[in-house]
Amino acid sequence: MANPLRRRSPLDISPAAKLVSYVLLIGWSFIVLFPLYWLAVTSLKLPVDVDRGPFYLPFVDFQPTLAAWRNILFELGDDTLRPYVNTIVVGLSSAGLALVLGSTAAYALVRFTYRPRVGLIALGAVCVAAAYGAILGGVPWQLAAVSGVAVFALLAQAVARRSRGTLANDDIAFWLISQRILPPIAIVIPLYVLFQQVGLLDTQLALVLTYVAANVPIVVWLMRDYFMALPVELEEAAAVDGASVYRIVRSVVLPIAVPGLVATFLITLIFAWNEYLIAVVLSSAKAQTMPLLVAAQDATRGPQWWAMSVLVLIMIVPVIIMAVVLERYISRGILVGAVKG
Amino acid sequence: MVSRYRLVAAAITAIFIASACSGATPSSAPASVAPAPSATVAEPAPSASAAGQDFTGVTVELLTFNGPQIAEPLQRRAPDFEALTGAKINVVAVGFQEIYDKAILDLSTGTNSFDAFVFNPQWLGDFTGPGYLEDLTSRVESDPVVDWQDVGPFFRDFNATYGGKVYTIPLDGDFHMVYYRSDLIDTPPKTWDDYLAVAAEHHGKDLNGDGEPDYGSCIAKKKGQQSFWWIISVAGGLLQSKGTGEGAFFDTTTMQPLLNNEAFAKALDTYKKTMDFGPPDEINLGVGDTRGLFTTGRCALSMDWGDIGTLALDPATSTVQDKVGAVITPGWTQTLDRATGKLVACDATTCPNAVDGVNYAPFASFGGWSGAINAAAAQEKKDAAYAFLAYMSAPAQSSEDVTLGKTGFNPYRTSHFETRDVWKAVGMSDQAADNYLGAIEASLQNPNMVLDLRIPKTKEYEQDVLDVAVSQYIAGELNAEETMQQITDGWNQITDQVGRDAQLKAYQDSLGVQR
Amino acid sequence: MASSGRPLDLDPRGVTNPDVTRGPRLHRRAILSLGGGWRSDAAARWVFIWPTVVVILFLSIFPLVASLTLAFSELVFARGRIEVDFVGLQNFQILLFGTERTHLLGLLKPPTPLGWVIFGLGLTVILRSLVGSLTGGHVRPLGALLRIAGAVLAAGLLWLVVQTLFSEGGRPGSLVVTMIYVFAGIVVQFLLGLGLALLAVQPLAGRRFFRIVFMLPLTITPIGVGYMFRMMTDTGKGPLEPIFGLLGMGQYTWVTDPWAARIAVIIGDTWQWTPFVFIVLLAALEGLDQEVREAAFVDGASHRQSFWHITVPAILPVSTTIVLIRLIEGFKIVDMPNILTGGGPGTATQSLTLQAYLDWRTLNLGRSAAIAYILLFLVTVIATGYVAWWRRRIRPV
Repeated sequence: MANPLRRRSPLDISPAAKLVSYVLLIGWSFIVLFPLYWLAVTSLKLPVDVDRGPFYLPFVDFQPTLAAWRNILFELGDDTLRPYVNTIVVGLSSAGLALVLGSTAAYALVRFTYRPRVGLIALGAVCVAAAYGAILGGVPWQLAAVSGVAVFALLAQAVARRSRGTLANDDIAFWLISQRILPPIAIVIPLYVLFQQVGLLDTQLALVLTYVAANVPIVVWLMRDYFMALPVELEEAAAVDGASVYRIVRSVVLPIAVPGLVATFLITLIFAWNEYLIAVVLSSAKAQTMPLLVAAQDATRGPQWWAMSVLVLIMIVPVIIMAVVLERYISRGILVGAVKG
Repeated sequence: MVSRYRLVAAAITAIFIASACSGATPSSAPASVAPAPSATVAEPAPSASAAGQDFTGVTVELLTFNGPQIAEPLQRRAPDFEALTGAKINVVAVGFQEIYDKAILDLSTGTNSFDAFVFNPQWLGDFTGPGYLEDLTSRVESDPVVDWQDVGPFFRDFNATYGGKVYTIPLDGDFHMVYYRSDLIDTPPKTWDDYLAVAAEHHGKDLNGDGEPDYGSCIAKKKGQQSFWWIISVAGGLLQSKGTGEGAFFDTTTMQPLLNNEAFAKALDTYKKTMDFGPPDEINLGVGDTRGLFTTGRCALSMDWGDIGTLALDPATSTVQDKVGAVITPGWTQTLDRATGKLVACDATTCPNAVDGVNYAPFASFGGWSGAINAAAAQEKKDAAYAFLAYMSAPAQSSEDVTLGKTGFNPYRTSHFETRDVWKAVGMSDQAADNYLGAIEASLQNPNMVLDLRIPKTKEYEQDVLDVAVSQYIAGELNAEETMQQITDGWNQITDQVGRDAQLKAYQDSLGVQR
Repeated sequence: MASSGRPLDLDPRGVTNPDVTRGPRLHRRAILSLGGGWRSDAAARWVFIWPTVVVILFLSIFPLVASLTLAFSELVFARGRIEVDFVGLQNFQILLFGTERTHLLGLLKPPTPLGWVIFGLGLTVILRSLVGSLTGGHVRPLGALLRIAGAVLAAGLLWLVVQTLFSEGGRPGSLVVTMIYVFAGIVVQFLLGLGLALLAVQPLAGRRFFRIVFMLPLTITPIGVGYMFRMMTDTGKGPLEPIFGLLGMGQYTWVTDPWAARIAVIIGDTWQWTPFVFIVLLAALEGLDQEVREAAFVDGASHRQSFWHITVPAILPVSTTIVLIRLIEGFKIVDMPNILTGGGPGTATQSLTLQAYLDWRTLNLGRSAAIAYILLFLVTVIATGYVAWWRRRIRPV
């Protein structure tokens, strides 16, 4: 058996540094894992064992019970399963969509030049504002939308000819990320009205669309940095060989960007997986997701710690599985293989 | 370049219109929430009620809050009701903090996804104003099933009624009582001064035999939860003495807040003093925490709704079975003279409802979960929804539900006090049942019960203004003067925004004051 | 060219090559100079970006405009419709000058001597950087105006901090409390996340295990993390209770002390969000070309040199992004203080979004939106300033 502290390559660090590394890694692991252990222990307790004081070891200082697990998994079976399925569907599809949209946009912002004209943007803003004003004033929203777009199309050419100021890629990127500044609390009611108008309340689709819009800016920003760090020579070589942009992206860029893509996918998946406020407003029965169930355990009786612990634990299992499966793609073996192959 | 923009603009339009058309159908009804199977219930209780009616094919969407309580009995009994009448009841459950927003949004935007609600009767002002709720007056008066006269007079005449009309069917009776350890305390406190004395006597002693010092009083003081209700309970006897109709929040002629005077200052001071005998982190405890502390024997006294009575019985939640007594919320030997803003001693004129010189004013905080019906629902849904709520409230069903700790329902009918068998069945001794039900009965029959605020924007008055100010007071950020000023300014601001006359009218309506 | 002061000499062809990492401008020139395929493939540039723009336009702009309308309105819920009554600046007036002033801005008192010293030092820094940014290079009138406005705002915020935190009897409102959370949180989370990523990137046995474990806190729903920390920090029946007992603090509780409560919130926030920094930096470190590092070592570079000359430049761009994202997300902190303390003791831990949430849940949507817009204004200014700063100092975006 090889000594784990032994030095293997010039990049390796000294045994003493390795020892320190292990101490630090294990120390932080303990900080991360202890609260989770406490959740696991709490899920096995009766209310009275939670209230009487801290007990740490099942069988040793309290008698464990599966009551909370039975209640959540069997007695409430369907009421747990439905949000669970919703969470999986909404989380995966919104993260997947956000990754596709966001990473292509990020690539475009790194490799292409955009010069949107200030005049056109201002015109668009004016048209949008006028359309909203009309809707608030009682005009049917379909009519307002169509006429807003029509006015924009009519005036666009004239305005574009006169306006000289342009924006750059950086401005587009900043505009995208700025969409995340406003706290969700301020936008959920308008979103509710929006989805109510188009009849999408309490559907998975509404949640997926909202999460895509909310998470795409993060994907763009993270992926932009990963793309910028990629060596451009490979793409140049492919372009010289006559490959199309799509082909270059698919067979040159994406394979090298896998670590970034995986990390970003995990982050957006987690954001969508765990989102609470938008879900609570946009869903009522069919489309409820798991965070709502967790929050619901704090009701008139105070938090039902045991049930809450069970829910949190079953909620993180799929994400952990995803992380375990995807983690290997964040490692350099794949990357080097892709670049060389 | 330009032509491209136009092309794109046209494309956006196309997408937008296409998506609009495909989504233009109104949102379909929320799918069913499968009822939770329950271990305790066997046969559908025989009921004269719904048996005669046939609602086959009718589905009622009922909104209530998510969680182990309240929704539980509704979900448990929905299949029984379906077997009796054919009506399917879908219990849609959302978070406690969000029901209000969801219900109002749903009703005001005309979405109307819900036919019935089981919610907080404090919101009646907000819900009846725009005409969201069905008037149930004629239904309850002629219906033998709901047995309206059996409902406690306070819940019937005040809680379920707004502006002289019945809008809700009570499913739960909520008011504060004080719980004490009957094995330690012989004479439960009559006044808040007694309360402090008893708390002081037992504070720091070991009350449950685990060798650690325990606490004299546990009251959940966490911000954003129940603080603002307890302070009204403490202040109740000082603020209101002439009966429920007098009101404890506003002057019923000027709509000036009553919380800026010697009486409320004294209540604040007493409330803060209870912290001297409480757990060190009492300021951050919610009602779940204090219930846990009390039922594990760590507190000599606690103030709570009816829940501790049933929670203390269950070995899964309690180590103090048969050691718990309940008593009407303590009162005061002084009360507010509204003309001067000063405290005066209680006598036959100042405190006409006093018992042995103590002016009690038990506080029906929250008021108890109640069923209401959406006025915009289809007629057959209204009928079925009413039949279900009446079935839930009928003595046959509710007498059992109020004895179960897990339901979160507390007694509110005369028959709940008279049928002692059901209480024995869940493990209450005769003596304990007498004590617990006696305290409830004493509170309910007190004509000076304090009705919780129910005017429009009640949540803003209580949760935004009162709760924050009281939390700042007990944390030491504000002194009593500043606290009362902040409450008065905040309340007057809300009143003036809505319109003082409209709010005054609403307050009078909520109290049933005829002028 | 903004490459001043950065060591770029180690690597002739890899990721730190200035022509590669300098961002889009140089890239573009390099690629466009190839001609042919890139230009003719005109559709791609639109196909790549428009779906994102459209999604954002439809799902972000409408709520943005609608909530701006709300901020100047009061809502009346009627049957079948919601009336939006325009009330002008009333919501802002109440927040900034009316009954909510002490909750938003805090209780302002004259600064202590220490407060004056801090204010003086801070003001000097602000003025120096303003003068520096106005005199260095060509500045257009509009740019100058914006910079002066930014400096005035910064000075105002500093004055607010000094009056609430460094004064006799003052106390911070949700604005200053939120800034404490954000700035303390970013520093601690970034340093911890970077340290953990550097540890976990080493070729150690069992590193996969550590990587998965370190991601765990991020996978839990923020509400769940909030409740978990409430259990952990319960001084009566929480698992740390014996530790408090051992330290002779059996009767101590953090919940009554404003600073202890704020630190508890920051600890919870850090536990939850450090993995975000960790996972992004880990991916960036893994993307480093190891051959470059090996070559450097062969050339006799030390670990420290390799860190500062290869690792740091490579992760700097993504680090600036992480800080920007955490800045934006951090200002929205709500679940942790809401669940842990409800904003208490008093208003000591109340964040801006929590204050907005309290108004939201009583359907006071106008005031809630007004708070959100105050936050939007503040964060936009800070984020713009931050981006402008890094464009000058670190890299073009």
